[in-house]
Amino acid sequence: MEAITLNEKKPAGAKNKGFWFRMVQQKYLYFMTIPFVIWVFVFSYLPIWGWTMAFQKYRPARSFWDQDWVGFKHFVDLFNDDRFYLVMRNTLAMSFMSLIAGFTIPILFAVLLNELRNQVFKRFVQTISYLPHFVSWVVVAGIVTKMLSIDGGVINDLLVWLHIIDKPIVFMGEGKYFWTIVTSSDIWKEMGWNTIIYLAAITGIDPEQYEAARVDGAGRWRQIWHITLPGIRTTISVLLIMSIGHLIQIGFEKQFLLGNPRVIDYSEVLDLYALNNGLALNRFSFGTAISIFNSVVSVILLFVANGIFKRVTKESIM
Amino acid sequence: MKGKVLKGTSLLLASVMLVGSLAACSSKEEEKKPADETGKTNTAENTTETPTTDKSPITYTMLAADPSPDWNQMQDEVGKKITEKTGVTLKMDFATDANKVALVAASGEYPDIISAKGSSNLFVDAGAVLDLTDLIDQYGPNLKKVYGDYWNRLKWSNDDQGVYVVPTYDGVGNTYFDAGGAFSLQHQAVEEAGYPQIKTVKDYEKVIADYVAKHPTTADGKKTLGLSLLADDWRIMISVTNPAFQATGASDDGEIYIDPKTYQATFHYRRPEEKEYFRWLNHMNDIGLIDPESFVQKEDQYKAKIAQGRVVGVIDQKWGFQSSIDSLKKEGKNAATYGFYSVQMDDKTVDHTFEPTGFMGGYGLMISKDAKNPERIIQMLDYLASEEGQVLINWGIEGKHYNVENGKRVIPQAVQDQKTNDASNFKKTTGIGLYNNYGPHYGDGVQDSTGNYFTTNFPEQIQKTYSEEDKKVLAAYGKTTWKDFYPSEKEFAAKPWGAAWNLPVPSDSDANIIYNKLTPIVRKRIPEIILSKPSEFDAKWDAFLAELDKNGVKKYEEEYTKYIQERVNLWSGR
Repeated sequence: MEAITLNEKKPAGAKNKGFWFRMVQQKYLYFMTIPFVIWVFVFSYLPIWGWTMAFQKYRPARSFWDQDWVGFKHFVDLFNDDRFYLVMRNTLAMSFMSLIAGFTIPILFAVLLNELRNQVFKRFVQTISYLPHFVSWVVVAGIVTKMLSIDGGVINDLLVWLHIIDKPIVFMGEGKYFWTIVTSSDIWKEMGWNTIIYLAAITGIDPEQYEAARVDGAGRWRQIWHITLPGIRTTISVLLIMSIGHLIQIGFEKQFLLGNPRVIDYSEVLDLYALNNGLALNRFSFGTAISIFNSVVSVILLFVANGIFKRVTKESIM
Repeated sequence: MKGKVLKGTSLLLASVMLVGSLAACSSKEEEKKPADETGKTNTAENTTETPTTDKSPITYTMLAADPSPDWNQMQDEVGKKITEKTGVTLKMDFATDANKVALVAASGEYPDIISAKGSSNLFVDAGAVLDLTDLIDQYGPNLKKVYGDYWNRLKWSNDDQGVYVVPTYDGVGNTYFDAGGAFSLQHQAVEEAGYPQIKTVKDYEKVIADYVAKHPTTADGKKTLGLSLLADDWRIMISVTNPAFQATGASDDGEIYIDPKTYQATFHYRRPEEKEYFRWLNHMNDIGLIDPESFVQKEDQYKAKIAQGRVVGVIDQKWGFQSSIDSLKKEGKNAATYGFYSVQMDDKTVDHTFEPTGFMGGYGLMISKDAKNPERIIQMLDYLASEEGQVLINWGIEGKHYNVENGKRVIPQAVQDQKTNDASNFKKTTGIGLYNNYGPHYGDGVQDSTGNYFTTNFPEQIQKTYSEEDKKVLAAYGKTTWKDFYPSEKEFAAKPWGAAWNLPVPSDSDANIIYNKLTPIVRKRIPEIILSKPSEFDAKWDAFLAELDKNGVKKYEEEYTKYIQERVNLWSGR
């Protein structure tokens, strides 16, 4: 008995000693992290205090103790609003569309670019393709609306000229087109930019692997399939997990700028809903309730995605 | 990934508040001293220089809910004069988006002067602004003179009779000399039709239909559009829904109609008369006279179309497409500019556009409880309210922007030309017209002690701004201004509630929350109804009303009725 307990104690004590010992040994490193820990605490954790607003009937400029507490009233209001579910549908639909398109297309593009032999041409294409990233959504929305206009819009003119349609279609006025329009403009704007990270990952692949494959008689397709894609798999899964975490936080600029009253049932997204029903009405508490919901769902999505990936591909970000 | 930027309003708000309160804690101590010091020097100067008003330089921060694109940091001629006379310089911050005012209210860090328009109640509820009753009594004799009998209309509510807002948007004693909406027609169309009587929507429609039939394209080959409407965000109210008030002979109170006898409020779409107006728009669409992009286009597209001179009729307020008119004028296409007509559904109703509201109070300036020497702000406002100040902000500087000939103020032709043709630049350099919403002011048609009008808008002056083409059309109808088409304000009694749209409704009241549910329904359904087949119109309209009902429109009306009745009581001093 005694021997066993002794045996058990020993490693534990050694481990503890090891931790403190290492901490003292690495004290300068720990000191160096302190500013960042403070930074994260002040800007990411302290503001969570503001969540208390969601359970109050919040009035500005009153002290915390003078606020009226209302419990879960704002959450009940939120879940009882029909519009909320419509908005969730739009948010998730557009998120998934842009998630799917936003992953496949840049990866394909990166792989194709990588196969280009002419370096000058490759650089040129790459630069051109990521330039739209720097164009503001306001401008992009203007261009898209003009192009899709029935009043001399390029797309309608082209379709009519090709006899695909008889008369111009009011693309911006039909709810069924809206999600596609948003997704395609998003792709146009962000494709090149999102390609950069995959290109960087591809560059990191050891050229010897390609040489070995070539010696084994692998053609271009085989090389892409067996070397390039597996080589960037880690990057893909990390990015995918992170985007899934942001599924319902898609912002609202695109939808706000491209939307109009006729497609309001397809264009209103969660962030816009929060803005219209929260801040715009000075219902700070209600807005906070929405954003708590938002954050909680995001965290759940992130963990679920991470868990799945961990099991399936043995890769994870946590 | 972009979503991260907006990672929840709560975080944003909370961090703003946090930073705000931290800043407040740290700066309070520091700020106190200079404030005390300036206070001392001020009193010192008071005793040596002028006993009544202090003119030492002082800078106040101000937040204005309305952006003023021509604002010139008070470096314009009028601004310099104001600083010279009162010592005050305003450091402006404009709310470029709708939420800025709300965020400032939540931050607890208030600018000295706040012009919050519809959000004034946020600041008053928070106790962030001063009750100005005593300050005005003491320092604002001219302010009292300007508001005169309307003093009751400055009071906040029946329970709280304090004066928190110095109303600066509405002109006291204003009478309108010119009409600017909502039914307008291109001069060329009216001319070609042989100046017919334009009284009903049918007359209006005929002019458009005939012209479009005759000229399917413009001279440069673009398709002529019968009627273009704008439904971009809130503009839908101006261009699509509110004209229903005018056309049905009702008084426009924003989104509600108020019965003049019972003060009963009705969400205006629920008036059976208005259904007919929308039926007419539906018919206009059916016969292809409404621009198919009407409910999709953005404001810039809309303005571009009008500026190309291809839209025959515009239903909108003139300020909504003024820039298009300006560019038409610049290109010499005066025949494609617009005249404004009083149009009714039928001849049974009377156009209430000019029904007087009386002085409406409402939107204006508030002074923060943290402002140093608030009496200096009152003194500045008092200067602006004085006869000298009023002439300065409206007319500019004597000998420079106007001359006095035979006791009358006259604007030299060169100045007038610049004002008409290069309005924005003129405003920027002279400052004339920049300060009207920052101080109390008389409206059009009020005369000063010398018998001159305070403002530069009076009948003769207005005709000077008309082009030859405008005058030609007016002459053909035997009128002198567009307003002559409308029933004069003298035919109506003033509305005892002013205008309901500037009624301060508590921000988290049921009325506000319900209204926010009704708005998307209106903005979605009205375009849908107008664009539907005429055979489906009735069914769709009924469904629309049922949807409003389901979302609590009756409760909304009840609450509003209560607010209106309270206001009538407050304003009549009962």
